Amino acid sequence: MSTDLSSPRTASTKSPGKFTMSRRGLGNLILAAVLLAVPFWLPLVGGYTDLASRVLIYALAAMGLNLLLGYTGGLSFGHAAYFGLGAYGVGLMLKYETHSTLLALLAGTLLGGLAAALLGPIVVRRRGIYFSMITIAIGQMFYFIAVRWNSLTGGEDGLTGFSRQPIHLPGVTLAMGSVDFYYFVLLCFGICATLLWIILNAPLGHTFVAIRENHKRLTFLGIKTRRYIAISFAISGIVAAMAGGLDALLDNFTSPNLLNYTLSGDFLIIAVLGGMRNFYGPLVGAVVFIMMRDYVSSITDNWMSVIGLVFVVSVIFFPMGILGFFNRKSSS
Amino acid sequence: MNDSQSGNFDRRGLLKAGAAAGLAGLVATPKPTWAVSETPIKIGMVDPITSTFAPLGHSEIKGAKFAEAEINKAGGIMSRPLQLLVEDGAGNPGTSLDKAARLVSRDKIDFLMGTVNSASSLALSQFADKHNLLFIATGGHVDSLTGTNCRWNTFRTCSTTWMLTSGDFETLFKKFGKSWYFITTDYAFGHAEQADYTTQLKKAGGTVAGGALAPVGTTDFSSYLIDVKAKKPKVLCLLLVGDDQVNCMKQIAQFGIDKEIAVGGALFELEQARALPEAARYGWWTMEWYWNQPNTPHVAAFVKAYAAQYNGEYPSARSWFGYASTYAIKLAVERAQSTDTMKVVKAMEGLVLPPEVALQPNAPAYRAADHQLLLSMFPGHVIQTGKYPNLFDVSAIVPGAQLALPPAAAGCKMTYPA
Repeated sequence: MSTDLSSPRTASTKSPGKFTMSRRGLGNLILAAVLLAVPFWLPLVGGYTDLASRVLIYALAAMGLNLLLGYTGGLSFGHAAYFGLGAYGVGLMLKYETHSTLLALLAGTLLGGLAAALLGPIVVRRRGIYFSMITIAIGQMFYFIAVRWNSLTGGEDGLTGFSRQPIHLPGVTLAMGSVDFYYFVLLCFGICATLLWIILNAPLGHTFVAIRENHKRLTFLGIKTRRYIAISFAISGIVAAMAGGLDALLDNFTSPNLLNYTLSGDFLIIAVLGGMRNFYGPLVGAVVFIMMRDYVSSITDNWMSVIGLVFVVSVIFFPMGILGFFNRKSSS
Repeated sequence: MNDSQSGNFDRRGLLKAGAAAGLAGLVATPKPTWAVSETPIKIGMVDPITSTFAPLGHSEIKGAKFAEAEINKAGGIMSRPLQLLVEDGAGNPGTSLDKAARLVSRDKIDFLMGTVNSASSLALSQFADKHNLLFIATGGHVDSLTGTNCRWNTFRTCSTTWMLTSGDFETLFKKFGKSWYFITTDYAFGHAEQADYTTQLKKAGGTVAGGALAPVGTTDFSSYLIDVKAKKPKVLCLLLVGDDQVNCMKQIAQFGIDKEIAVGGALFELEQARALPEAARYGWWTMEWYWNQPNTPHVAAFVKAYAAQYNGEYPSARSWFGYASTYAIKLAVERAQSTDTMKVVKAMEGLVLPPEVALQPNAPAYRAADHQLLLSMFPGHVIQTGKYPNLFDVSAIVPGAQLALPPAAAGCKMTYPA
């Protein structure tokens, strides 16, 4: 049981594979239906569409992070850097260069992804706690650049003066109101989730899991583990950057807070809370985290304590996160 | 006949008596009971309840709630009750936007106000514009909010950075001298303050003796202070924030600099003064409002009622921002006789706060051209041995109109949606 039941590798290769696959397929269908219907049922339970967009965006960022954290075994404390770079990329493109939302999102994703791809090889030279330290340092570097470079980034006050533009498709124009934008985020989420799923079920993904499980052994086998960790780092950076870009589009605003290590910490909490060995763990984590931030903060000033408490309890009692807990229950 | 007459009389009398009783009831009831059909006018307020800005946010919320209670006690707005919905923005623009979105889509607010820090103010101003809402920034000082980034829907109750610096510039310059040294926080707000002071200093014929940019979170200021001692300026201008300011002021006292050189700066808040240890209570600063105004009508009564409501806590400038902003919305709605955003915006342009709301001399008004409230500034010095709430000695109340840059110079070009 060293490789968890829920990891995609076992899910796709074990003998009852056909059954699990179809069960998983059914689960995906139900999830898709629930997510597609959000604008219809969320207002009935006191939510609002922008909140659902925020959940998906944070879930996407945490899923990107989770490729590195849960599947490759690299604890990054600096993923807000790529998230924030994606956001600034989108903001600056829309403000100065283009009126195309899609082009801006592409540029933001590339900016953050490129940074992750270039910095990955430096970060992976160390492992364990030193790996984490370097990711924090690099993340904070971008934070301070954004704070200091007033003329470009707007400094501490953040970048304003851009907004998401309507998307013109052949035959139809999306005005990009709250609901349109939610479906746009959902589409991006779906594409990224599918790609991540494909990667995790390809030999590349199996290598990531193998590195997590036994790094030394893979080194002895002659596999260049650093290279694979760097690839994992780059992919997870790209996904985080795309999430960041969507976040900037949601708010029509971005600030250095998006680059700060506290946000990296939030992503980690989301991934761990939901279940980091589980593909949809970060989505569950994001739902819990954002809902708590939104609702508990209206009830008590000490909402941060509640989140902290839930986090501590979940780490002590369900170390595999919420989804991990339910999976273990159903398999036993 | 008699019977019928008396019957008539009785019925009419009964009707009359009923009407009279009803009228009397309407007039005499001190606390109106709202009819079920009366939908409240809703003001959403996003302010930090948590984070480093929390003490300031709490004061603004208390001020606004105090105004809400007063307004409802006096009959509401256009005989509709006022409802204030407060959400925690945590001083973070992203969280503030989330909360604003929630207030708009779930609570269907009519007006939006709040924020302590500039970043959140700018973000909410843009958000409110998108959602066709009137927004009153209660506490973000960045010049551009009513300058280059001014918007048709956004008004500001607190002062601009420029007003803060010019508020006590004259006092410091005339009283202490021409050569100045700056220790400034190394980020946008600090830079803006220093630039504003330097412009005024050069215009008045002064010189900059030196300057140091201290990164946020600096704890050891001794290297800067040695330089200050060597340069011997007349005025040491501190443009620091929060704990940095406290640390620096303690070290200045240890170096004995405050005995030789006048120490001063821009913004100072009652909340901050209260938190300072006695050793660090000195210097010349600007308050944006102060509770001790013996010569201004209505102030003493307000302070007394406020302190009674909040267990002896005195109103600060932040409390007044919340109070005045809430009243400004009431006054503008009544002037417009509507809650339509554009009509209320038009009614608020040029709106003069009446003395019982202004609680200061000089009749502050929201300037039509850039939507900036021209409030007075209260330069003065900190009383070192003072006990709360007697911590500040106001040396002058300077009219805002005299301090604020003209709208054209501030860079505001107001455009309205078609």
